[in-house]
Amino acid sequence: MAVVETIEHEATDRTPAVVFDFAAGQYRLSGESYPEDAANFYGPLTQGLRQAVEDRASDEVEFTVEMIYFNSSTAKALMNMFQILEDGAESGLNVRINWCYHDDDETMEEFGEDFSEDFEHADFRMCPLT
Amino acid sequence: MTDAAEARTESSALIAEEVLGFQRNMTRRGIIFSFTGYISEGILKALGDALRQKIRLESTDTKTVNRVFSVFVEQVQNVIRYSAERIEHDAEPPVELSSGMITVGSENGRFFVICGNVIGRKDADTLAVRLRELAGMDSDELRRFYKEKLREPPDEGSKGGSIGLIEIARRASEPIQFDFQHLSDAQSYFVLKAYI
Repeated sequence: MAVVETIEHEATDRTPAVVFDFAAGQYRLSGESYPEDAANFYGPLTQGLRQAVEDRASDEVEFTVEMIYFNSSTAKALMNMFQILEDGAESGLNVRINWCYHDDDETMEEFGEDFSEDFEHADFRMCPLT
Repeated sequence: MTDAAEARTESSALIAEEVLGFQRNMTRRGIIFSFTGYISEGILKALGDALRQKIRLESTDTKTVNRVFSVFVEQVQNVIRYSAERIEHDAEPPVELSSGMITVGSENGRFFVICGNVIGRKDADTLAVRLRELAGMDSDELRRFYKEKLREPPDEGSKGGSIGLIEIARRASEPIQFDFQHLSDAQSYFVLKAYI
């Protein structure tokens, strides 16, 4: 089993702060996201997540998203990662997703509600922040 | 004063008159800024920052600032990705410049974002069908359609643009306007205008 190292990026003006600790099963994306090239930014993260879920790199997965703004290419990347998590949960992995948003941010709340519809096996929680 | 200096002063005065007239005309139309030429991701970032600062200063509520910004980003990224007038070079870092026009303004208390760029004639037909479909949807239908498109693998050659158009339609306060101008057998000029 290949060991995937933790991926960490500091937030930039256009990309979120990233912590993907595969061994601990702790994942976090926070900030704004409208990268120049979303495939380039999210590709390695999605690949790492897919491998970690397949290899059962951790017993549990907690995936936290705390975004202020993201563009449509980022939405697509999030959807891809959520599909991996739901598939993992379906095959028995314990998965929790925390969708954090400012409580007066209707746009992020709506996105959370819409993403939540795709989860049957993973535990998707809406986490309004004040 | 020499003849040459005098001539220069006169022609400078004409330039100032012309440029000022141009600027005043833009201001009268409510234009906050307008950019024409080659657009890159770097220009998107710089104009986007200026736009956010400007409309925040007008004490616009956060929701509107975010909506205008989102429409701006999707529109400009569409120009960058789909303009038929483009320069691409596999340098390091890669060069990607696309020609087009971006205008942001306000009219009767509402913001608008206009983008214009050249596209292939065939793409124009596909785009017109897509945009007509979006124009006929209400906000709930747009929300569902966005979700549906997110689940699907991207259309061939779309680079994710179809979702971008739905995002623009969702954040707009009325159906988005679009138009095409025939340029040649191979090309059309495409304009998209969204009020927020």
